[in-house]
Amino acid sequence: MIKKADIILLIIILAVGIPLSVLSLSAGTSGDRVRISLNGKVYGTYPLDEDRVVKVSAGGHTNHITIKDGQVSMSYSTCRNQVCVNTGAISKTKDSIVCLPNRVVVEIISHGSGKSGAGGDADVISG
Amino acid sequence: MSSQADTRGRRTSRNTRRLAFGAMFTALALIFSYVEFLIPLPVPVPGIKLGLANLVIIIAIYRMGFKYAFTINCVRIVASGLLFSGVFGMLYSFAGGILSLLVMYGLYRTKLFSMVGVSMAGGVIHNLGQLITACLMVSSIRLMSYFAVLLFSGLISGILIGILAYHIEKRLPSDIR
Repeated sequence: MIKKADIILLIIILAVGIPLSVLSLSAGTSGDRVRISLNGKVYGTYPLDEDRVVKVSAGGHTNHITIKDGQVSMSYSTCRNQVCVNTGAISKTKDSIVCLPNRVVVEIISHGSGKSGAGGDADVISG
Repeated sequence: MSSQADTRGRRTSRNTRRLAFGAMFTALALIFSYVEFLIPLPVPVPGIKLGLANLVIIIAIYRMGFKYAFTINCVRIVASGLLFSGVFGMLYSFAGGILSLLVMYGLYRTKLFSMVGVSMAGGVIHNLGQLITACLMVSSIRLMSYFAVLLFSGLISGILIGILAYHIEKRLPSDIR
């Protein structure tokens, strides 16, 4: 049932996949700002240490992003799958909450270095 | 003259049979899509699923050839998109489905791999295609943190589906092709 080529293919996939996975999973540092993007454009940036609820509404979709005790979560979304709400709270720079149906992305960035964080992630793809 | 008509008649009947089997495969693939839509796996990451519909597609590649497998897959994606997952879901399904079909057919043609290897590669490529589409949709590379999860889930579900497909294909009557 299983041929030698299958095993070789599996080893190749693992050899490429595991280092990439380690790179993509490597823990982020604790950030201090929250960046919310809508349709790929920055909607707003908020400090992580001030509790608030940000309401994002566009094209009939609404998302509520709650910043509380240094953590961010998607507390409400009109999307069907609710994956963003179930993601839970995030607080590290590599974490993000994504609501694909409503095209809302919540990311944590560290002070004044949103660019360097994005550069680090770009290496994940090219590598 | 009569023998000519006879061959033509036999060819028509073979084409009709293929059409019927193709339609049956499509219906089965659509049912599998529905089952997966009904019973989502309890994980917080979108896109992790067994890929039951791929079972049908792999067997279609082996038994009916590329044209049939491609058509079955496209009809299934459009129908399940309209019925269950919505237009966005359809877009992801197309990205993953077409990409994995091309890769699986390519591997099948090399004759080097078993169904398990073909299906394994298909599962991985399917998830990568969806992940890249998702990244393009939200214009964010951040999503790549799902990479590890989707890679291994694609690998494991691909292998499982491949083993299933191997055993099912072996037991299917040989005139289904």
